[in-house]
Amino acid sequence: MTVDELRETLARCDRDGLKVSIEGGKTLAGMGPALPRADISLITTGLSAILAHEYHDLTCSAQSGIRVAALNAALGKHGQFIPIDVPQRKKATIGGSLAAGWPGPRRHFYGRARDFVIGSQVALADGTLANSGGMVVKNVSGYDMSKLYIGSFGTLAVFTHLNFKTLPVPKKRRALIAPLPEATRPRAIAQIASLAVTPAAAFCVEGFGKNIDGADDIDGRVLLYFEGTEELLERATLDARSALGKAGVPETTIVDTGAAESFDRTLDACIANKRGRSITYRLFGPPGTAEERAERLRDACNRHELFTDVLLDVMNGDVFVRASERDARRFADKIEPCHLELRELEPRCAIVASDAAVRAPFEPWGAVPPAIDKMRAMKARFDPHGTLNPGRFIGGI
Amino acid sequence: MLKQRLIEALGADAVKTEAEDLAVYAFDAYSQGVVPAAVVLPASTREVAAAVKIAKDCDEPIIPRGAGTGLCGGAIPARGGVVFSFARMNRVLEVDVRNRRAHVQPGLINLDLSKHVAAAGLFYAPDPSSQKVSTIGGNIGTNAGGPHCLSYGTTVNHILELEIVDENGDVMTTSLDDIGYDLTGVLVGSEGTLAIVTSAWVRLLRQPETVRVWLAAFDDVNAASAAVTGIIGAGIIPTALEMMDHVMLPAIEAAFHAGYPTDAAAVLLIESAGFEDEMNLHETQMRRIMKENGATTWRAAKSEAERDALWAGRKGALGATGRIAPNYYIQDVVVPRTKLPQALQAVGEACGSRGIIAGNVFHAGDGNLHPLLMYDRGDSKQVAAVIEAGNEILEAAVDLGGTISGEHGIGYEKRDTLTRIFSTDDLATMSRVREVFDPKRVLNPEKIFPAGVGCAEVK
Repeated sequence: MTVDELRETLARCDRDGLKVSIEGGKTLAGMGPALPRADISLITTGLSAILAHEYHDLTCSAQSGIRVAALNAALGKHGQFIPIDVPQRKKATIGGSLAAGWPGPRRHFYGRARDFVIGSQVALADGTLANSGGMVVKNVSGYDMSKLYIGSFGTLAVFTHLNFKTLPVPKKRRALIAPLPEATRPRAIAQIASLAVTPAAAFCVEGFGKNIDGADDIDGRVLLYFEGTEELLERATLDARSALGKAGVPETTIVDTGAAESFDRTLDACIANKRGRSITYRLFGPPGTAEERAERLRDACNRHELFTDVLLDVMNGDVFVRASERDARRFADKIEPCHLELRELEPRCAIVASDAAVRAPFEPWGAVPPAIDKMRAMKARFDPHGTLNPGRFIGGI
Repeated sequence: MLKQRLIEALGADAVKTEAEDLAVYAFDAYSQGVVPAAVVLPASTREVAAAVKIAKDCDEPIIPRGAGTGLCGGAIPARGGVVFSFARMNRVLEVDVRNRRAHVQPGLINLDLSKHVAAAGLFYAPDPSSQKVSTIGGNIGTNAGGPHCLSYGTTVNHILELEIVDENGDVMTTSLDDIGYDLTGVLVGSEGTLAIVTSAWVRLLRQPETVRVWLAAFDDVNAASAAVTGIIGAGIIPTALEMMDHVMLPAIEAAFHAGYPTDAAAVLLIESAGFEDEMNLHETQMRRIMKENGATTWRAAKSEAERDALWAGRKGALGATGRIAPNYYIQDVVVPRTKLPQALQAVGEACGSRGIIAGNVFHAGDGNLHPLLMYDRGDSKQVAAVIEAGNEILEAAVDLGGTISGEHGIGYEKRDTLTRIFSTDDLATMSRVREVFDPKRVLNPEKIFPAGVGCAEVK
């Protein structure tokens, strides 16, 4: 599909009252309500060209349907990358990843993916193409419309291409992995948060063994992921081992070859779904309250006798909790009261992974934000006929 | 009616309506607008909301104003109205050290925040040159940058949550942790045309272990530009990478005794922050790049005092222009970093052909130029020539693939040039956002969008 074909398709659907679902790599299809199929599925993966890589300027422009890993592989030929941290990055498209607003665990370190977008072009519901930003790294000319579309779940417009600033690829990557007995967790988190060399990402994980380690019998563990020069990583390793030791963490394994893969597998675990018998919730909040929030959600799942896997992003405060059962029927019986309790405890926890049928009875996004009326007005103004991903986003927008 | 109602709501000491009090609010640091009908100095969000309702009832435009240091008329009352000054909402409400964030009021002076949190080993990264006087609220309005945004990013990268008052006087919050549209991201940089910010949670960064500043001098400004390209192209992102040219160096040195060579064609001021080992590596790489590009001098600041002096010269550069001419006009354009030589040549040609002295002090690492055009405001021919040259520079930046503002904003002065980079469809799409937040154009009218056309009519 070309950009012209995309805009013409949208214009026709908008005119004829047809509803359009926007699909990239469909890696985050477990988010949002389970809705009946739209009239038209608009698949963006054909828009996969890299339009420019101005590597001396550290900028690039790529069509929205290119896969995250493919774009970074191409940029890597000139030693550059964009830190878009999404699960299944080989399959995920840049347009879909940004539209879904997946914030990523390295955002405290590099900035949010949205902060690397320096310009974009979108197709509006009526087929109009609209540009904002440009190909320069600093720009305050007009409203930064890209920010509005990023995280809008395709309900306002469809990205056709995005311009990015890029970063030099770090010289080296290293993962430090250690067992994390429950009793040591709070002390370990406190130590990690104050490490002199900030990890690019840090996770405390309970469960998710099969997804991350390939074995189900893994208990709690901590994964620190560093990026930088060899010298920096050596210092980081010494500091981190010492800090974790003080917290009572017994031993630390260094992973150099395969560190990036460990990081990727951890990201993938955020949306790892047990077919028909799991729901994964995500809850944002300040890092200092993450352990407390994780505990509340974990305990609630346990009260309903559901298996619980927990992934805690130490640096950013994101909490992922997967509730599951061995048997689909038992899961169906237990999840409804559990879901209600989770929502009572944490009204803003959102479902990010599950089968459509499993989450169908539930409102997936959680409590609406205070500015929901402005968001509804925005949807009405950008997509007055409700053509784009209607009803897919929070508050039914 | 307006005055009485405002006084009833806010108290007499928070409302100014005398001509001599109002006159100063017709200006920002560059432009002149219309004397407003009133100026209010609310002390709380509740008072902001009350004053918004009154102004709207009385059909008066609402103009939020920080310290008035803007350079493109963003805070001037273009057609009168009520100016909202946040001079009394200038406090740090909370510092959350564990989560490295602070809750601040919009009238807080930028630099005061970093001073406030310094003891906790933290700082607020956006550092516009005006940071000693400009406010967080104003910085949010313009998405202010500064020398250190090369690696830390501009204001928008550091805003976590906003409390806003909309055109109806309704109060709400927007947060990056909210699921929903990123209204925070759109509000930052909207120059007060969408809502009034009454408080913000901002991100704080940990002070780096080591900060190093180097100075490199060149006999040729193009060689200095090539060195900038060399550094960025080598994948080194310093925390700041600034350039000053031969016009400005003697003036700055005379004013600040910063330690700059006065006989160089251009000087690069480079800062890197991080860990000792990294700094050593950066220094080795950058020294090589400087040498390859013909640097005549390469030296490191040996002490914190020397580092501060080097920065004081750069940040105070605009004040030194008084040694060259009675007035200056500063342009703010951005080009792709590799196009700096062509952009500087365009500045030279635009000014040289009109007999205008032009100095350059700018954020070279970002490709963000700030040509300073020297003139005498009393000479109408010079004024006309400066305006022409400024427009020519702007056109040249666009032709080089750049844009018309990197950090000062569009405001009143550049709104007609927005059509140079955006189509009517692009502008009409932006105007949809305006229609959602401010359909009656009550908030900071005549800003950003081209003159003579209501936003809804852009298309």
